[in-house]
Amino acid sequence: MKLKVYRGTALMSESALLDLPSGLAAFFMDLHEPRVPAVAVASGPCVYVYKNLRPYFKFTLPGLEVNALEQDLWQQAREGQIDPVTLKEMLESIRKKVDVPLSVRSLHFLSLETEDMDDFLQLHKQQPIRRQTVITCIGTLKKSTADDDGVSCLVIGTESCHVYVLDPEAFLILSKMTLPAPPTMMDVTGQFDVEYRITVACRNGNIYVLRRESDKPKYCIELSSHPVGLVRVGKNVVVGCSDESLQSFTQKGKKLWKAVLPAPVTTMASMDLPARGFQAVLLGLANCEVQLYRDKNLLSTIKTPDVVTSICFGRYGREDGTLVMTTRKGGLMVKILKRTATFEDRDSAPGPPLAQSVRLNVPKKTKLYVDQTLRERENGAAMHGAFQMDLSRLRLAAAKAYVKALESSLAPMSASLTEPLKMNAVVQGLGPSFKLTLNVQNTAACRPVMNLAVSFLYDESLYRMRSPYMRIPLLVPGLIYPVETFVECTSDKGVSDIIKVFVLHEGKSSPLLTAHINMPVSEGLTLN
Amino acid sequence: MGLFDRLAGWLGLKKEVNVLCLGLDNSGKTTIINQLKPSNAQAQDIVPTIGFSIEKFKTSSLSFTVFDMSGQGRYRNLWEHYYKEGQAIIFVIDSADKLRMVVAKEELDTLLNHSDIKHRRIPILFFANKMDVRDALSSVKVSQLLCLENIKDKPWHICATDALKGEGLQEGVDWLQDQIKTMRT
Repeated sequence: MKLKVYRGTALMSESALLDLPSGLAAFFMDLHEPRVPAVAVASGPCVYVYKNLRPYFKFTLPGLEVNALEQDLWQQAREGQIDPVTLKEMLESIRKKVDVPLSVRSLHFLSLETEDMDDFLQLHKQQPIRRQTVITCIGTLKKSTADDDGVSCLVIGTESCHVYVLDPEAFLILSKMTLPAPPTMMDVTGQFDVEYRITVACRNGNIYVLRRESDKPKYCIELSSHPVGLVRVGKNVVVGCSDESLQSFTQKGKKLWKAVLPAPVTTMASMDLPARGFQAVLLGLANCEVQLYRDKNLLSTIKTPDVVTSICFGRYGREDGTLVMTTRKGGLMVKILKRTATFEDRDSAPGPPLAQSVRLNVPKKTKLYVDQTLRERENGAAMHGAFQMDLSRLRLAAAKAYVKALESSLAPMSASLTEPLKMNAVVQGLGPSFKLTLNVQNTAACRPVMNLAVSFLYDESLYRMRSPYMRIPLLVPGLIYPVETFVECTSDKGVSDIIKVFVLHEGKSSPLLTAHINMPVSEGLTLN
Repeated sequence: MGLFDRLAGWLGLKKEVNVLCLGLDNSGKTTIINQLKPSNAQAQDIVPTIGFSIEKFKTSSLSFTVFDMSGQGRYRNLWEHYYKEGQAIIFVIDSADKLRMVVAKEELDTLLNHSDIKHRRIPILFFANKMDVRDALSSVKVSQLLCLENIKDKPWHICATDALKGEGLQEGVDWLQDQIKTMRT
């Protein structure tokens, strides 16, 4: 256990500590020139103050009230009126029923084996018994000016649920406040002589706000999970919780926002750059990252080689924006903020995209539109019914036509399984003589089709055909067979008609497929 | 050097050169410039420069006008306004400040990448200052930390100096003078 002081990149001094430290604070304790700050180290019930790298002063918190019965018992033991076994029994009974707890010495005595009791009693019975509390957290509070080098008071939180404010010069207790639970962390703002706020996170998972001239907390913030870090940003409190969240509250306890973190919080600190008017919160996370949040927006992430256990941002040597971090394995890292660094808000909160708020140039509503909308609103059900009925009718008509086409093989596609055929027709020429080409294809996978014929049906007063009936050769699957014939238009009145083409199977009267050819108007003149 | 220049030299009319003196705060810029001035014009107390100050001194053939810029963080954005006028740069480094060597490198990189400097073949003289301090880095180490070997398109030179005693300054100024002369001819 050592107190180490670094300067630049080198260790400057080391002093051994007597007990495990629970907190550390640097402060100015007097106005003497040159201004030398002091370092206060809290351990056990004492605050050790170091100045000029040497121990300077030790302050011990006042002892707590001792149980009168316990005191009597030890008095009797000292005078030899009771033996250790009786003392133990009596102490046990006090421990169980009385509300003032036993001293550390009595508790230690109770934990001993019978043979060791006598030695312990002989060793300790001459000293009076005392009950001491333990410091859990420490902070500083400016005395009367807000200057950077103003004199500061020490603020101490103890296991006995008290918060003390100490005078920096005489180390008198200026103020004593009581909390409902032992404090674990605190953040102090303001000046002792003017007005101040002590925000304390307690072991019962609540945060209390203490004010001047009140020895009880004024406001209480109840958290859903235990606080791990506590920082004040402006008038709000930002808390890192053990459920991997970062929450912000007003000092009256109203919740402002909550951000979900990628890993559990290990430590928190505020990042304050008054020259730029920048305030943010630094969070050390268990996944070896340090994240910087302004409000609930993540601004920056620093990857670290190890889990960061404590963070401090401020002036180090001549650099104002320095971030000092310690890691779990005992490393010390220093990062300096670039002069040209900019912090841009990346709003990570899922919400409507920016484009959504751009106003569209919607034209004004016309009277027709309004009337139509009104009509639709009033007769909505009827209109829907009429539409659905028409749609059903349309579907029925389509289905009927399809069935009819299938039944009479009117389509140019044959659906029969034994002779699947496809046909299209092409008419070439200007007239009066046209060339008619039928492309017939067998669409079966491997089976050829035989014994097919083509027959034409037409108005004989209009057209004359060279061969109105033709046989089709064997159709090999996949190949397209062109079947050609010539049609002559006998009319010169500029009319046209439909020629129907049937593909037939020999020995069957119903066609396999049918095609209707819309003949073009004959534009040429017959040479008679 | 033409005949006229030599004549001007005899007559005491020396060529004027504008030099920028840059570097972090507390690196010793003002102390160095103070040492280069004639002994009767030297100031006794050196205080942190605010904004900048203009100093003049002469060498055997040139008359230097030095813009001694303040190195404090809040004044460093003034530097770039003087890049255009500067015909040479003196960059001072506190060799004993290992922690802020990264800051010096950052400022040097910003300087070298500035549009007024980037495409000019402007000589840069580095003073690795405060060699008298016990834990000071050597000039070789300083040039490694600042990655000076990456400066390919500009003549540069690094000198280990102790501005309080004035050691090493003359060597650097001589180099600078030679560079400016070769640049002109």
